[in-house]
Amino acid sequence: MKVRIKAFARFREIIGSENTLELDDGTSVLSALESLSEGSKDFRDACFDKEGAVASHVVLMINGKRISGRDREAGVLHDGDELAVFPPVAGG
Amino acid sequence: MLNENEKERYHRQIMLFGEDGQEKLKTARVVIAGAGGLGCPVATYLAVAGVGYLRIIDDDTVERTNLNRQILHWEKDIGLPKTGSAGEKLMAINPDIEIETVRITIDEETAPGLVRDADAIVDAMDNYPARYLLNHLACKFGIPLFHGAIRGFDGQATTIIPGKTACLSCIFPKAPPKEIFPVIGVTSGMIGMIQANEVLKYILGTGELLGNRLLIWDGLGSSLETIQVERDPYCTECGHIKGSQMEKLK
Repeated sequence: MKVRIKAFARFREIIGSENTLELDDGTSVLSALESLSEGSKDFRDACFDKEGAVASHVVLMINGKRISGRDREAGVLHDGDELAVFPPVAGG
Repeated sequence: MLNENEKERYHRQIMLFGEDGQEKLKTARVVIAGAGGLGCPVATYLAVAGVGYLRIIDDDTVERTNLNRQILHWEKDIGLPKTGSAGEKLMAINPDIEIETVRITIDEETAPGLVRDADAIVDAMDNYPARYLLNHLACKFGIPLFHGAIRGFDGQATTIIPGKTACLSCIFPKAPPKEIFPVIGVTSGMIGMIQANEVLKYILGTGELLGNRLLIWDGLGSSLETIQVERDPYCTECGHIKGSQMEKLK
């Protein structure tokens, strides 16, 4: 299946604004992000914490709908989905 | 009542929303938390629009590294408090409004008394602990909070109407790590304009606010988009606010 990854802010600087991943059906959000980070240590450092979990401040959305709790990692992706990753900015 | 001078000064916008609208701006009290990259453009445009009372809070002094974006602070102001520097320029820009400057650190002790009487609070801070504190007080007192944040060429903004829209904690339950952030002045200007525009619309009761929407500005791609966000019913800050409060705020 094909899943589009849409990146914002610093993530976009690292991996580009849109990537399309070819993944197995039923791939989890965590697996999709891990496969994306295989090609980019910078992305891994920015998106994951030291324990290998998706960093708690990173906002994740599937098809424009915010996902939270267990779905942040275990949520299942389907063909044609768009997974958006957004690191909030902090300056003022 | 608007005097003749005010009718002349605001003539081109009275064409938009009438003398009644201008009266609403004149009687509004807006607190701007921070006189830095976001606070400078927000304060400038709320001042020229004729918002009658601006309270600007900051504890910092002007440094040369601020000057690429903090447009109310000039070379001659280096070393001076940002509040005094901003207040001086704003009073010159519009002598018909009242500017109160407060040089103080925004913390749990000082903040309640500084925001309680406001019609609107502008989040022009540079860190999430202070933002969460403003959000907490906005929810507690039922005061709208206008959020903005920037980094590099990127920015974000949203409008929080307590009890009615997602609050800052609903949208960002966890703060991003603290950093000395790179930034270009145009990004502060873009997001500051969005915030000021939201404040004006809120006071005037016109247009569609950025409630339940997070606006994301990508300066490198020159694209602006909004993503839907929603209230977290279990939010520790706003989850307890029920419909009665929503009605009151309409």
